[in-house]
Amino acid sequence: MNTKRMLSRANLDALIRDLVAAGTVVVAPTHSSGQERTGVTYGQVQSPDEVLLDGPQPIRPLKGVVFPPTEALFRWRQEKSAVKIEEVPTGFKETVVIGARPCDAAGLEVVDCVMGWDFRDELWFGRRQATTVLAMACTTCDESCFCTAVGLSPTSTRGADWFLTPVDGGFEVDVVTPKGEAILDRYKARCPEAGGAAPSRTAGLEQQVRANLDVRPDRIRGWLETHFDDPLWKRVALRCHGCGACAFVCPSCHCFDIVDEPDGAASGTRRRNWDSCQTALFTLHGSGHNPRKDQTARFRQRIMHKFSIYPARFGEVLCTGCGRCVRVCAAGMDLVSILAEIDRAAQGGGEA
Amino acid sequence: MQELRELARKLLQEKQVSAILGYEHGRLGTRPAFVTDVADCERLVFDHRCVHNLAAYLSPRRTHIAALGRLAVVVKSCDARAVAGLIRESQIKREDVVLIGVRCGGVVRDAADARPLSADNVAPRCVACEKREPTLADHLVGEPKPAPAGSGSRDARLSEIEAMSAGERLALWMQLLAPCTRCHACRQVCPMCFCERCIAEKTQPTWIETSPHARGNLAWHLTRALHLAGRCVDCGECERACPAQIPLGLLNRKVARVVADRYGYIVADDPSTPTPIGTYQLDDAQEFIQ
Repeated sequence: MNTKRMLSRANLDALIRDLVAAGTVVVAPTHSSGQERTGVTYGQVQSPDEVLLDGPQPIRPLKGVVFPPTEALFRWRQEKSAVKIEEVPTGFKETVVIGARPCDAAGLEVVDCVMGWDFRDELWFGRRQATTVLAMACTTCDESCFCTAVGLSPTSTRGADWFLTPVDGGFEVDVVTPKGEAILDRYKARCPEAGGAAPSRTAGLEQQVRANLDVRPDRIRGWLETHFDDPLWKRVALRCHGCGACAFVCPSCHCFDIVDEPDGAASGTRRRNWDSCQTALFTLHGSGHNPRKDQTARFRQRIMHKFSIYPARFGEVLCTGCGRCVRVCAAGMDLVSILAEIDRAAQGGGEA
Repeated sequence: MQELRELARKLLQEKQVSAILGYEHGRLGTRPAFVTDVADCERLVFDHRCVHNLAAYLSPRRTHIAALGRLAVVVKSCDARAVAGLIRESQIKREDVVLIGVRCGGVVRDAADARPLSADNVAPRCVACEKREPTLADHLVGEPKPAPAGSGSRDARLSEIEAMSAGERLALWMQLLAPCTRCHACRQVCPMCFCERCIAEKTQPTWIETSPHARGNLAWHLTRALHLAGRCVDCGECERACPAQIPLGLLNRKVARVVADRYGYIVADDPSTPTPIGTYQLDDAQEFIQ
């Protein structure tokens, strides 16, 4: 495996047309359509003209492709004293993602751990199986990016089936997985073998990201394990509104709520929807007791889960450093500064 | 700035308050700051990047903030409208809080925007704002500021939408609300969304479905807009916080326009004026009752 190939921009466009013509769902960064404010988002595209590979990071992560914000689990119908359960169709459409950011592609692999842990989530893996990810090296970053602090980089191939590196005239293609080989087999004509190494256009980006945040996740984990009651939590969480926007734009947050939605007196649908540990309702017990009684406890949970609990259970940090939580926060909560502060404290460098 | 910091120091030193809620410069722009130590008053700033409405932190439901004790809060004129709302609706008492009014010449749209204030980056609400300083304040600091640059055509889009047919408007809003994932950031940052239990969280019965599908999203956003009728202070926080970039201000301003037209009521920073929803008058329009 790991065959190097060359995909010219014209051939990428042709590949997109081939895929669409074959009935494959093609998802790529694209302008959000029909909105008052233009933004870039991962969305289904019908033609190469809609694909935006050199724009800013999409405002929402890729996770929605395999884990939709809302989905039906089953339908129920009350028939006299019995409840009848009806399956909902679970055919997963073949999907190819073009131009996924490395942080988004890696997010899928990180979340695989929990989705396949004590219960195999058929919906997650059904869509994962049907989805081929052609990730692309980043060519831009900003002050919120910190992938290098969590073991990734702007050229990290984690979670990618193909990895595209922008070079003059197109992309150098690394075929990373068997799933990537399968797509290559079908569209080999579009991707001739690369003749010699072309200069990449991503140089210098990694240093730029590292300058934002240079910490060691293992050191942070060590500090977290012994500082559940540290005054840091209270101080940092004061400005947090508990809105959960951070979780909803996070490529690795995966918590969901399950609700029953009646559509009449005797039938309805059970659905699962994205949820966030930042809301009070998330842990509110039927008794009225709430074990996470305030935002201090809720914010601590977010950091603990990502940098201590998940790593302890799965050996993976539940964060890919995409920086979206920093960018969207209305209150200026800055995970980059918070992790830097914890890392300093872990080295005995004054107040955390 | 020195005037603000000196006042903050005095309030803390004299134990008039136990914390100052103001603004500081973070790594990426301004952000809310909670100052409890006199030495930290140096951190306090006020400039055109102080976009946040700090009144949201005064909700008695925010127990971790209430635990700080009596607060002094830095308020622009728009923020003061929210404080007045909280007092009017019996969430806080006037004497519970010390208000440090700041003279304001408008703020930028995005707190991370480091450019000087101009017609290009001014927050839309500031363009039409005529109040350079709050009336509801215990102290007033800062030099008088000019009105921000920008054209006053802020509601042109609203008028365009009003001119559409009902069917076109419904189609437009279904499209605009489609990216909503129901994170409820709009509610959490809103100083006037302080219900102990939001109707969106009630399940017996489920009035508003929490699923981010077309039905749930429409029910949520319309209910929220109506619940803010005559209460929304037009601080723009819901729209700023929305990670899906939904133009929620359009909905709120439409409702405000209806309240102004029918009841002659415009939300101001005067806590003693009752809201239309909280009062009854014999000559209230009632032609819709048939």
